[in-house]
Amino acid sequence: MAQEEVQKKKTKEKEPDITFFHPDLLEVPQDGSLPFMKGFRCKKCGQLDFKTAICTGCWGEEFEMVPLSRRAKVYSFSDIYIGQQGLDTPYIFAYVDFPENLRVFAQLEGEVGTYQCDEEVELTVGPIRLNNDKLPILSYKFKKIS
Amino acid sequence: MKLQREVYIAGVGETRFGKHTIDFDLLGREAALQAMRASNIDRTDMIQSAYVGNGMNDMVAGQTVFRGLGMCGDKLPIINVQSACSAGAMAVYCAIKDVATGLTELSMGVGCENHTMHRETGAAFSTARSDIEAMHGAVMTGKYAMRAVRYMHETGATIEDLAMITVKNRKHATHNPHAWFKGAITVEEVVKSRMVAYPMTLQQCCGIADGGAAVVVGSLEMMKKLKIEKPVRVAGVVVESGPYHNRPRDITGDDITETTSAALYESSGIGPEDVDILELHDAFTISELLYYECLGLCKKGEGLQYLRDGQSTYGGKCVVSPRGGMLSYGHPIGASGAAQIAQNVKQLRGECGGHQVGPTPKVAMSHVTGGGLSGTEHAACTMHMLVKGW
Repeated sequence: MAQEEVQKKKTKEKEPDITFFHPDLLEVPQDGSLPFMKGFRCKKCGQLDFKTAICTGCWGEEFEMVPLSRRAKVYSFSDIYIGQQGLDTPYIFAYVDFPENLRVFAQLEGEVGTYQCDEEVELTVGPIRLNNDKLPILSYKFKKIS
Repeated sequence: MKLQREVYIAGVGETRFGKHTIDFDLLGREAALQAMRASNIDRTDMIQSAYVGNGMNDMVAGQTVFRGLGMCGDKLPIINVQSACSAGAMAVYCAIKDVATGLTELSMGVGCENHTMHRETGAAFSTARSDIEAMHGAVMTGKYAMRAVRYMHETGATIEDLAMITVKNRKHATHNPHAWFKGAITVEEVVKSRMVAYPMTLQQCCGIADGGAAVVVGSLEMMKKLKIEKPVRVAGVVVESGPYHNRPRDITGDDITETTSAALYESSGIGPEDVDILELHDAFTISELLYYECLGLCKKGEGLQYLRDGQSTYGGKCVVSPRGGMLSYGHPIGASGAAQIAQNVKQLRGECGGHQVGPTPKVAMSHVTGGGLSGTEHAACTMHMLVKGW
């Protein structure tokens, strides 16, 4: 291997870590309209799910994207005081149920001790953690209805 | 699994559970040696297959355990088993399967783990970052806490109610030399301990612990050959994987526990009303409460009453967590499932001394789930039904 090539290989920059989670799940339109989460309906059997390579119901491979409601319901939640390494505490996470009969695990924005089961919440986009480069990763979150 | 022939437990072993300075392999070795000695095994070449459950420590955990016993070599296939908290029980399941199918006459399952990894303290236990829930900050304490929040919302149960599980299990463990946290604790002390994930306070969570346990299983003929005097027969074993979907589900129930136990009752011909003692996955107070219902010990919605009426302690319908459960032992992931079985065997044999359930139980069941995998309640569930006698 030529000297320059070796040098080039050595100085190859590390790929930056992600700062957005995840284009298959969350759409933040560039025209300023409100963000939404995405479901995918199997064209073969009709099962609605989050993005998968093949339908877990029938192994169908073609899907139609379905924008999910921006309002959903807190099925259950917990205020976390001892959390994952690297995450500031307290934080709140929940199972949130969409009217489209899908459930997502997500962080809730706001103060601990203020949420309750069956409360309606609204989709928002915000930092969920820092990535390997110490930059915030933006993802779907939910907040109280304003 | 339909057992094609009778399988018996020859002997069991377990270390003290808690914080250890030694590693998983020495813990596994201690337990394995105890189990083999209890089985009257006195040669290195008698066991015909070994399965070793471990969650976090080593990719060749089994070989690391057995090399120090002089058992590695052409006589012993060693297979490593993983499924997070279910690994130890699954290792025993695999050993039973070998004997049941006639592949071997004598096999063993081991579970061992150094989960503290010699740290003083740690962050809350989480699944791999590749899991979408973990990416969003999920920790096991919080996932169980969500079940508690929903249960309290639906039934009106309080944190004080949940705390009674810790009080009961610590009391059961009082005279158990293998248990870590034991003896008297009040509901108030449990409730006032540090908040980990609302409503789970510290004393409602299993400790991150180290330990090892082992179970030797064999055919009827082999039991006679080994001169086993207190036979314990495997009446049924089931392993299932967690149903996967992203639709809403009732987390005050537990789909995988419900179907696994139904399969166990069906295959063993023994129903929940006949179970004398039960070790279940009481990693958190809420889980024991829910599992009374999921396992059919009582009807849906009556778990709290079952606890309050004393049905899950001495003199009740089924003594649940007689060893003190995970809330007393701590929970070294890969070891716990094997330790449950080891204790159940000792109970059926009347060998538990100060924490022996009386009268000596005849039917013992164990239940351990494994893995916080998004889209499932648990990735795995392993259950064993054991009966006293030939």
